[in-house]
Amino acid sequence: MVEGRGRVARLLRTWVPIGFFLVLALFPFYWMAVTSLKPNAELYNTRMMPLLVYHPTLKHYVDLLTETRFLAWTWNTMLVAVAATAISLVFGGMLAYPLARLRFPGAGLIAMGVAAVYLVPQPLLFIPLADLINRLQLGNTLSAVILTYPTMLVPFCAWLLMGYFKTVPQELEEAARIDGASHWQTMWRIFLPLCTPGFISAGIFAFTLAQNEFLYALIFLTKTSVRTVPIGVIAELIRGDVFYWGQLMAAALLGAIPVALIYSFFVEHYVAGLTAGSVKG
Amino acid sequence: MAILTLPTRPWLNRESLFSWLMLAPPLLFLAAFVGYPFCYGIALSLQHRPVAQPGVFVGLKNFVTDFQDPVFWRVASNTFVYTGIATLLKAVGGLGLAVAMNQRFRMKNLVRAVLLLPFIVPTVLSTVAWMWILDPAFSVFNWFLIRLGVPKPGPSWLGNPLLAMASIIVINTWRGLPFYGITLLAGLQTIPPELYEVATVDGASGFQRFRYVLLPLLQPILLIVTLFSVIFTFADFQLVYVLTHGGPQNATHLFATYAFDLAMGAGQLGLGASVALSMLPALALLIAALTRYMQRQ
Amino acid sequence: MAGPALSQARSRRGFLQLAALGTVGAMIRPRQTPAATKSLTVLHESSFIKTFDEYFQKTLAPTYEKETGIKVNYELTSVGSLPTRISTITETGAGADITMTFLLLPFLFDEKLLDVSDIAAEAGKKQGGWYDAAKEAAIVNDRWKAIPFSNIGQLMNWRTDWFAEVGVTQFPDTWEELYEVGKKLKAKGHPFGFELGHGFGDNHGWLYPLLWSYGGHEVEPDGKTVVIDSDETARAVDFARKFFRDTMLDDVLGWTDVSNNKAWFAEQISCTNNAESILWLGKRDFPAIAKVTDQAQNPRGPKGRFHIMSAISHAIFNFTPAKEEARAFLRWLTDEKQLSGWYASADTYYQPLLHGYDNAPMWQVEPRNLPYRDALASAHLLGWPAPPSRQLAESVAKYVIVDMFAKACAGAATKDVIANAEVQLKQIYRQT
Repeated sequence: MVEGRGRVARLLRTWVPIGFFLVLALFPFYWMAVTSLKPNAELYNTRMMPLLVYHPTLKHYVDLLTETRFLAWTWNTMLVAVAATAISLVFGGMLAYPLARLRFPGAGLIAMGVAAVYLVPQPLLFIPLADLINRLQLGNTLSAVILTYPTMLVPFCAWLLMGYFKTVPQELEEAARIDGASHWQTMWRIFLPLCTPGFISAGIFAFTLAQNEFLYALIFLTKTSVRTVPIGVIAELIRGDVFYWGQLMAAALLGAIPVALIYSFFVEHYVAGLTAGSVKG
Repeated sequence: MAILTLPTRPWLNRESLFSWLMLAPPLLFLAAFVGYPFCYGIALSLQHRPVAQPGVFVGLKNFVTDFQDPVFWRVASNTFVYTGIATLLKAVGGLGLAVAMNQRFRMKNLVRAVLLLPFIVPTVLSTVAWMWILDPAFSVFNWFLIRLGVPKPGPSWLGNPLLAMASIIVINTWRGLPFYGITLLAGLQTIPPELYEVATVDGASGFQRFRYVLLPLLQPILLIVTLFSVIFTFADFQLVYVLTHGGPQNATHLFATYAFDLAMGAGQLGLGASVALSMLPALALLIAALTRYMQRQ
Repeated sequence: MAGPALSQARSRRGFLQLAALGTVGAMIRPRQTPAATKSLTVLHESSFIKTFDEYFQKTLAPTYEKETGIKVNYELTSVGSLPTRISTITETGAGADITMTFLLLPFLFDEKLLDVSDIAAEAGKKQGGWYDAAKEAAIVNDRWKAIPFSNIGQLMNWRTDWFAEVGVTQFPDTWEELYEVGKKLKAKGHPFGFELGHGFGDNHGWLYPLLWSYGGHEVEPDGKTVVIDSDETARAVDFARKFFRDTMLDDVLGWTDVSNNKAWFAEQISCTNNAESILWLGKRDFPAIAKVTDQAQNPRGPKGRFHIMSAISHAIFNFTPAKEEARAFLRWLTDEKQLSGWYASADTYYQPLLHGYDNAPMWQVEPRNLPYRDALASAHLLGWPAPPSRQLAESVAKYVIVDMFAKACAGAATKDVIANAEVQLKQIYRQT
């Protein structure tokens, strides 16, 4: 086999499709970046090539950070997302383990019930939930959303974790049980550590959904200091029919990039976990 | 810890007890925060319940009103079309992405993180960006299309009902494809390489390996991701609310946005709840069908 | 928390116990009504003119606090989310004491709002009397359920330079005249852009006045008889169709309220219907365009000239524990001293509904805004002449009138779209 030709072919096979997806995924971000750097005059100019910026300015970023409470909203969003994700992973795991690994009467019913919960749409729930949140006096607190986000995250985490749990071979657990370990010990010491990649995956997506949520935040968080990024940005940067486009795009980028960085960090661990598992296994 | 000898009746053995103890907290949580509001929501849908006024039980009258409302049926068809096409595109595209990414190359982690950006950025904000991308005056697409000879000002992406539906499908696909791709990729990476090797030794081509080895093994994950994505897309709210608010002429109105308009715009909580509830049978059927189809494969 | 508990707090264990008790106690203790109200919460939709909100936060609230010792919290909610927020507050019985309302909200929430007829009567007497439009905005069952604050007018915005190019120096008086100008301008590459999509202000801002100026009505003043199917309506629809086809961009069919602002500053359109936001933003960020932007009243049709009324008012929730304090505050707010200052902070974006302000100095600051004042006399609430009702709210939320016009412009036959609208309205109004 000719080395050179094989290599070029391989590079093409790798990078052409990936390049295609990269362009598809990224061009709106390019647009956002370009828009956030354009002064207003250029922004509205339809004659110029829309993809280039001629006189970039950081004004929109500065205005975003100084004239709005963007940083406070970012902090709130991260806090809420982490807390809601933690709760959902714990509850999700607690649902998934018995349903995926243990035998007991009523398992089928519970599984269906959890799936059914997932079908309940948000627009149906928000008025009753508002009533509940208010009776617990949690209105306008981050606890309101930290408690309501898991309603949409827990079933998803449970499902995803059940899927992962089922793919783990049973031998290790059976060995542990034969050795006399209790259910709890088996689960906690033997099984769960094997499922770290599953938890990371579920956690990543739960986190993303949590920081993206809009409807409940709209209903429960009305004081500007407790708002999350999606709501705060819409409330402050969209006033009537006046959109502050440059700042909106700056907010989009500033909101997405830190999370992307967090992702790339976790993806490292995820891959490491997988390769380690396969070597051992 | 002393080993208790309990009778081996299934209800009381240690496995069952342990299971129930594990399940109790999350189930209680879901009962309180989902079960109770859900029942309340059903009760609402059976009432004539203008906002800030007490409700009057009217049985199925709200549903009858919905079924006689032409907008309701438009909304239903929109939601099915939107969900169906977008899910198909996301599944196929996601599979393609996963296969493309399942190779070893430098900067893989960076690429993977970057590809997830459409999924990560808050929907409201990326939708605002798309508003510009789809405005004929500012749209890059139109800019190129005009230079290729299409008459000015170019297609009206949000003004033409068909194009508007296509636009929301495209944005939803753009947003959700990475989710499919990365999850399927994780699934691909749990497939032991030995299986590929065995197939290659047996003389299978790339495509055959894909069809007979990969796809069946990916089925469980594909099912989970698809189910989740279908539910999410079916109940989608933010995208349409920000971009077109259901227009032009209800061409992009979905169940969620319509229910919201009725409940919050018209102050008809019962009617809004009935539209929201109408999602359930459709969703349940969709999911049952999907599950059965996948399990038969 | 009494003495013995405090002494226990010395030990760390005691502290933890206290904390736990405190949390549980806070969760189960019923909502206390403070002995003397020290604060009021006023809910408002965020204004696109920041100085308006700031005037309340930095001038009005501190002044009131100094005078009475009551702190006034100004809670802002994003535009479009006010109905949702008010729904939640009325459903749960807590969250704000006074709220901004607009359009049909005083009617929808009528049963949860305090009767403020006395404050309204007093203001009317002292400040020149209320415009008729104001009464449409806030009177429910003969009682004032809100104090009208202002109208947010929707007027014609037009490019004086481009109109001059086709020989027009004054804004056309009738719809037909406007149509002729539009045809010429579209041919020159400066089309019109009137919203026909699912926004809220800029579509109703011209469609209802168009309907009314041709004599069309949705429902009779009795609030029950659907009369949309009439020759007058058909004429209005036919006009809209040719107006769209010959003067406008296709894209308007999918426009929401922000679209015409964007198009204006991109210099895509030469005429649109909008509130004051275009001129205001233009003066701030696009002075060259602002110089050639002017505002005018809606054109006249065979049956007169009309404008949409989009009045905002302030109402008091009747479940507030601070009824007397809220009434006192609202009375204070409605006093001429406070109102005139607050109006002035927003460059006449908020047009006062009391005749006493007809000649206020703020109108002289920007003469181009005078048509907003003049339009008040012919402004009506959506759905006029029918009184506000739940059915009206439902027909608006379902975009019955907007889509009737939009479908016709998109190509459907006049007969069909009117029949369709009639079916929808009959279905809505048959319900009680």
